[in-house]
Amino acid sequence: MIFGKNKEGKVLEILGEQEQGQSYWARVKRRFQKNKLAKWSLRLLIGIFLIALFSDFIANEKPLYCKIEGKTYFPILKQYAVDVGLSKWDTKFYQTPWQDHDYENVIMPPIPYSHFTQDKKNVQFVSPFGNQNVPSNRYWHWLGTDQFGRDVLAGMIRGTRVAMLIGVLSMFIATLIGLFLGSLAGFFGDTRFRISRVRLLLNLIGIVLGYFYAFSARSYTFSVANEKGNFGIELFKSVLIFFGIILLCNLLSKAFERITFFAKTTTLPFDLIIMRLIEIVNAIPGLFLLLAAVTILEKPSIISVMVIIGFLRWTSIARFIRAELLRVRSLEFIEAAEAMGFSDWRIIIRHAIPNAIAPVLITIAFGVASAILIEAFLSFLGIGLDNDEITWGLLLSFARNSTTSWWLAIFPGLAIFVTVTLFNLIGDGLTEALDSKSQ
Amino acid sequence: MFKYTVKRILYFFPTLIAISFLAFGLSKCTPGDPANNCEDSSSLAAMNNCDIEYQRRAQLFGLTGPSFYFELTSKAYPDTLHKIIQKDKRENWETLISHYGNWEQISDYKNAIQATQLKLFEIPDSIGKESIKKIKKELNFLPILSKDKVITSRINKILKTYNNTPTLKKYLSKEISGLENSYKNIKAEATPSQLYIPTIHWYGFGNQYHNWITNFIVGDFGTSYKTLRPVASEIKDAIFWTFLMMILSIFVAYLTAIPLGVFSAKNRGLRFDKITTLTLFMLYSLPSFWIATMLVVFFTTPEYGSWTDLFPSIGLGDLPSDAPFWSRFWETASHLILPVLCISYNSLAFISRQMRGGMINVIQQDYIRTARAKGLDENQVIWKHAFRNSLFPIITLFANVFPAALAGSVVIEVIFNIPGMGKLTLASIFEQNYPVVFAILMLAAVMTMVGMLVADILYSVADPRVSFDKK
Repeated sequence: MIFGKNKEGKVLEILGEQEQGQSYWARVKRRFQKNKLAKWSLRLLIGIFLIALFSDFIANEKPLYCKIEGKTYFPILKQYAVDVGLSKWDTKFYQTPWQDHDYENVIMPPIPYSHFTQDKKNVQFVSPFGNQNVPSNRYWHWLGTDQFGRDVLAGMIRGTRVAMLIGVLSMFIATLIGLFLGSLAGFFGDTRFRISRVRLLLNLIGIVLGYFYAFSARSYTFSVANEKGNFGIELFKSVLIFFGIILLCNLLSKAFERITFFAKTTTLPFDLIIMRLIEIVNAIPGLFLLLAAVTILEKPSIISVMVIIGFLRWTSIARFIRAELLRVRSLEFIEAAEAMGFSDWRIIIRHAIPNAIAPVLITIAFGVASAILIEAFLSFLGIGLDNDEITWGLLLSFARNSTTSWWLAIFPGLAIFVTVTLFNLIGDGLTEALDSKSQ
Repeated sequence: MFKYTVKRILYFFPTLIAISFLAFGLSKCTPGDPANNCEDSSSLAAMNNCDIEYQRRAQLFGLTGPSFYFELTSKAYPDTLHKIIQKDKRENWETLISHYGNWEQISDYKNAIQATQLKLFEIPDSIGKESIKKIKKELNFLPILSKDKVITSRINKILKTYNNTPTLKKYLSKEISGLENSYKNIKAEATPSQLYIPTIHWYGFGNQYHNWITNFIVGDFGTSYKTLRPVASEIKDAIFWTFLMMILSIFVAYLTAIPLGVFSAKNRGLRFDKITTLTLFMLYSLPSFWIATMLVVFFTTPEYGSWTDLFPSIGLGDLPSDAPFWSRFWETASHLILPVLCISYNSLAFISRQMRGGMINVIQQDYIRTARAKGLDENQVIWKHAFRNSLFPIITLFANVFPAALAGSVVIEVIFNIPGMGKLTLASIFEQNYPVVFAILMLAAVMTMVGMLVADILYSVADPRVSFDKK
């Protein structure tokens, strides 16, 4: 093992030297930096990420810091502690609204409203330039309010978080699936994956039996767990049972393989199967599936939308990985790794994928843009959301009910547009930076 | 070529079947029971009427019979469970089986409940009317309860009422003791081990999926839960507008995008190219529902000055259908300008970018240099030699543009209030009118696949080097 590690290091060293003393990623980075538009997009995007991350500290009805009756509080930080169950609010805090306390000393966030704060004095769509009934400019609604007097800017800052969460997490799911299936298809192709007859058969049986014992037979346990609230634990147990059965089948097949008839191998055309699967997923009209799927959920939430987008968007990543692996597959260093006797999985994960990952980044950038767009689109239509969550799409949809409120039509849409454009520009910049012809 | 086309069409079907499984599976997960719209157990006749009505509706919506060709389940479940049509009751018996694993005893209990219910109607009203009413109420709950505690307390209540009314003893003694014992038997003779023996039930072709998909193929998409009209006729009304807008927008997109792309490739690096490239990039990123909302807010109302009130308000106008054709035509056309623009600009930008890229690629080829070298004028080089070859990538885009227009029309129809498929889908979702939702899902899938198929075939016609095997 140690011997293999040394050799591996040497191979990598030699490969590194071949790249003119400069690593691949350094060159990509340099070329990306040259593209001013892409560079600034990335910087702006980091800014938006920071807004999403610190949205609670930017727009909040609670003070950042306050002093009441000689005691100091950090209410926003305390909220986090309360949320995870480490702390509790004093009674006075949930009895009196935040703006009505007698503060001895207080520092409010830049925007002194939360996305849900209803400013009773500024209800029914108050324009940013209109007559706002506020105590001071500090409390001005810079982007106006909606029907219930909620601050639009605060809503948009909160919406940043939802948009980023959806974009990043759904593409994370998509990338995981795409990487796995794409590398299977690309690395093994149609002919390279050989499996003994008995193993193939037992694995198929294992999947059916695994489903039966892990999920079908445990349906009563699930229904009980659902009421008790430990559904997650039972699901985890079921998954363990499922993989346990699969493992058992593989151990069994190892024993059976001693018999020559069973040990005969057949090829499993991974490439064909996965390309077919990609074709099927691509033929699904994603938006209509999302609409249909969201209807059957009794409690729609952002997570379910995220998962569905993730399950629909993996195909382009899988295709890229497959194409790259087909190319990388025939390169010498893979042959070298094979000659050294590394296992297939090790070669895929340690050697093939890192070399194929670059073009996937482009797909991810474009994918995040489209995921954000889909989410905005759904919430614009009023579908698939928690009731108390605010998003850019939802804010934009308020403009439909009140055509006089131009601020609701312009600003949330602008936020969607800017974010989507930034991701697209980064995708473009990456495409150019990775294109070896443009060197 | 012919072989390729046939092969491509044959591959169409497995995909369609896979999607139909998905759509059917989702439709089976929908909450609620559409067949149930009558709750009346005051008299035997009313109860029977309700049952008949339930059966009629269940049959109409295609909810009777087994769900699929086969079922992987355990030995504890009988293969006749699907004969219990009422959804809530069937699911309840399933839960009981999944707990105790003895269908024989459970069905005895089920029969005991029924027998008691029937017997209660035979008792003349003069005897303990209040008690009978109480017992009836409790009995109606029993078939939808599965928790031991709740069932026991209901049965105890029945026993208490029964014991408190001595006049009932003459009529009910057998049924009540049967009810009590049959439930005790379930618990006493539980066989949960049966739940761990896998079995496969075969149902043959007489199942819900088979009926649904065969009806779908011949154009019968089921019955709407809300209007009780065939879904097909509801979709037929809507599909006209969606198709009209789609075709118009694809037409507009291609017609503008191709010349734009060619000119900007021809003037690569010049100001015209730079401006169009940037504009198109912006257009590509602009969410169409934002633009549509802004257009509606700013250009259909006189709110912001009379000069912004350029277009008629949303909807399709309200001219009566007996108005002269041309005035109706212009009315509709003026209402369609904004929606069609909103659907097309996204694809326009996309196609134009691709066209430019393709053209630039072709212009760098040797044969273009040759054409120039032999003294052809620039227009001839571009339009005769380069243009045709740069069209290939544009054709494949048809596969993307078609579904995009379909999806884009959903929100545009909602914003502009046009009674097309998108608006129908949304309305059906909010009304929980699932047959319409899933029929549209299937239709959209078919349309998407047809778009891909057409694109592939066109591509192979345009470029004979393409073969299906090498892809």
